Amino acid sequence: MDFGPRSAVCGLWSLNHPQPFYTSWRLARSSGQRLCYNSILMLNSVETTPPTTFSVRTIKNIAISPRLVIAAGLVALFVAIPLVYIFVRAFSAEPDAWSRLFQTRIWKLLGNTLLLVLAVTGGAVVTGVSMAWLTERTDLPGRKVFRWMLAMPLAIPAYIGGIVHLALLRPRGGIIPQVLERVFGQPIPTPSPIGFWGATFILTLFMFPYVYLLSGAAFRSLHASLEEASRVFGRTPLQTFFHVTLPALRPGLMAGALLVALDILAEYGTVALLRYETFSSAIFVQLSGRYDRSSASVLSGILVALAILILWGELRLQGRARFTQMESAWRPAPVIGLGKWRVPALLLAMGIVFASLIVPVAVLLVWSVQALLDPQTLAVIVRTGSQGFGSYVWNSLWSSGLAALIAVIFSLPVALLAVRYPNRFSRFVSRLCQVGYAIPGVVIALSLVLLVNRALPILYATPLVVVIAYVLRHMPQAVRASESALNQLSPSLEEASRTLGRTSLQTLVQVTLPLILPGLLAGGSLVFLTSLKELPATLLLRPPGFDTLAVRVWVWAGEGFYVPAAPAALLLVIASALPLSFLLRREQIFK
Amino acid sequence: MTTLEVQNLFKRFPGAQHFAVNDVSFGLSDNEILALVGPSGCGKTTTLRLIAGLERPDAGLIRLSDRVVASETVFVPPEKRGMGMVFQDHALFPHLTVYENVAFGLRGKNQTEIRTTVGEILHMVGLLSYSKRYPHELSGGERQRVALARALAPRPVLVLMDEPFSSLDADLRAEVREHVRGILKSMRATVIFVTHDQDEALYMGDRLAVMQRGELEQIGTPEEIFHESNTRFVSEFMGDSDFLRGKVVSGGIQTEIGLLKQMVDLPASTPVEIALRADDVEFEIDGSGNSLIVGRFFRGAFNLYRLRLNSGQILHAFTDHTKIFEVGTRVQARVIAEHPLTVFSG
Repeated sequence: MDFGPRSAVCGLWSLNHPQPFYTSWRLARSSGQRLCYNSILMLNSVETTPPTTFSVRTIKNIAISPRLVIAAGLVALFVAIPLVYIFVRAFSAEPDAWSRLFQTRIWKLLGNTLLLVLAVTGGAVVTGVSMAWLTERTDLPGRKVFRWMLAMPLAIPAYIGGIVHLALLRPRGGIIPQVLERVFGQPIPTPSPIGFWGATFILTLFMFPYVYLLSGAAFRSLHASLEEASRVFGRTPLQTFFHVTLPALRPGLMAGALLVALDILAEYGTVALLRYETFSSAIFVQLSGRYDRSSASVLSGILVALAILILWGELRLQGRARFTQMESAWRPAPVIGLGKWRVPALLLAMGIVFASLIVPVAVLLVWSVQALLDPQTLAVIVRTGSQGFGSYVWNSLWSSGLAALIAVIFSLPVALLAVRYPNRFSRFVSRLCQVGYAIPGVVIALSLVLLVNRALPILYATPLVVVIAYVLRHMPQAVRASESALNQLSPSLEEASRTLGRTSLQTLVQVTLPLILPGLLAGGSLVFLTSLKELPATLLLRPPGFDTLAVRVWVWAGEGFYVPAAPAALLLVIASALPLSFLLRREQIFK
Repeated sequence: MTTLEVQNLFKRFPGAQHFAVNDVSFGLSDNEILALVGPSGCGKTTTLRLIAGLERPDAGLIRLSDRVVASETVFVPPEKRGMGMVFQDHALFPHLTVYENVAFGLRGKNQTEIRTTVGEILHMVGLLSYSKRYPHELSGGERQRVALARALAPRPVLVLMDEPFSSLDADLRAEVREHVRGILKSMRATVIFVTHDQDEALYMGDRLAVMQRGELEQIGTPEEIFHESNTRFVSEFMGDSDFLRGKVVSGGIQTEIGLLKQMVDLPASTPVEIALRADDVEFEIDGSGNSLIVGRFFRGAFNLYRLRLNSGQILHAFTDHTKIFEVGTRVQARVIAEHPLTVFSG
């Protein structure tokens, strides 16, 4: 196929938006929101790619400030050291460890991990795209409500969803089997959430909203005329969907799928809960149970290599997801009548919403009410001191808040260098700072344990190590948000400030920072939220007694105390749901 | 007195094959407006940015009021050059009000002084009552004037304007440029004005500098540029010229439509091309004439005819709007210019 129309679309787009930054300030808060929305999906490509009109003249050589280069270089070094150290340790492990692992564990683990990644990614893509198609393109009843309900599971960490489903469906002692047994007087076989199928089911339920939001946006921005052209040239609606619509969505979809894949590689809580062994959970066991650090290093090295491969693909796709841009000639595609399929489609969508949103939230609510009504559990929850609920909340808040602050500050020099002075070095630094996506929490924990032991024993067993892990793991979100914000700022504003007598540092403080503040805040709040939910790194690195909400939920639920765990879990869900709904409401379509 | 002197300026962007600015030299006197004009990509904006200090030259010298601001050894950063610049996209700070935008370049003065200066300059551009507004609350033309006020407020030795009107609508543009030229002249500002629009250059510039492919083709008054183009490019770019082939003979230049009595300093029988504009050509109906009308374009006050000579060459000619000739009419064309025509040896 020829690429003419695509490049024409891009060209038109940049013509239509030659200098959008007056309006962009008027939309400043909403532009912050757009950044957020895209970075929630950890993707800044689909809707707000920088207008290329800005970048034409950014390749300038008025003295790249050496301070900026040094700062960005230091940040890159900070990110690179733990990463490189993992490989160093992996390859310096005794040959024994390697051969033992290769003979016994690695192939099984690799098979398990890849199988889960493929199954969940596939499941999330199929669910996400079909739900997006239903809510964006068809006359499904209640589409507006469904748009919300299908996006909101994003606020529920997969391990919390897993805890709820496990409590309900456990083969022995699960709530549903017990109820069934009482009603029918004998055990009734129910599907078990344990193992591969259970893990696939749970992870798909809580991962598909990534793909749903991305493909929904892509469906909306797609030109009606594209599909109309296909119909005029003789394709049936179904052929059009597979030959025109899906290929047009592909770049955005692929990027979304790869992000889901990265998340699955890093996932610890859910797979451990459902007793399905992957690299992440195996490393966790080596580290926490057997203290076998060289085995853990070898496994980590392989896991990170795998993840970097996927991230590399994602970064390559990022630049290409562009031709789905909206432009002035856009008009919505006609709604497709479902006809007799309306009821089955409605039931399907309701089933997904039920399992991924209504059940977890309802169960957590009921448990929380129970916890507050029962004086004994209430006493456990409200106990003061280091064992009290207040101290968990406070630990969560300050560690995640500090991580967010550091991540945003660190992201600034990197983003400035990458956006204003694009060259090989700055691109390398920017990519390196996004590698955190590919380093699972368990691996960061392992690397920090080893490094702190050797180089900075002062930090050993302090909460600061936990904060460092959060920064390393979640800084990519801050970097992408900052780059996105800077990309929307015309360099001529900074140049104007220079010609009016400000040095580059004064310009940064007086012009650049105030204008990109919404984007920085968005990036910071994302780091904050994801750090709040981070489980494996916190579990492995926390000093004794340093409990966060996520840790408490995990420990209580692991011991079968669902009721006391529920208020903390609910708090985590609400903490994520509030900003998410705020962000979604800013999108036209969710009003 | 000379405000600006540019000597043998070179600039090539990393990875580019050609020089964006190739050996450009010119000078600018006090209170003069120089229009830098050329097709897009000709290096005019890069030249401006080199003068502003937003780019660093590969070689060459820039002297501003007898101070070297850029050379092989010296590079003065933009904030230390004391120039004012009006950007193509205006680049108003969206987080500052109109007043704060204009006051941005006035740091280091006391508050009353700043207030007076900003008040004066906003009054001059007619936006005094808008000082509390933000840029997004202004129309395109108003933003343009704020950008100008901001650049002029610190009383810069040199004002640089990069296609300042290109983001305005066509009818607004004519009005704004008249206003802007009035303000610049009343403030006796020294200005370099970059544009790709010939009309705008002719209107704004005391002198014009025509650039092509990084090189300065010609610099001179609008009349010189228009009537005495040095190169075929300038003549073509500035005035939609046709080029009529001819041959040097003893009495002038022999062409297909007659002998042009204009002496040129070239040996006899040298092939040449004469630049002809539509107002240099006249015709009348003649059944055995030397050309055929192949097109008529109504231009309001006059008609523009396209003529095809027997050899296939195309010329254009204006006539009064009352005279209408059918396409396909055979006519006799001749040159009627009363000024010397530009001749290029072909």
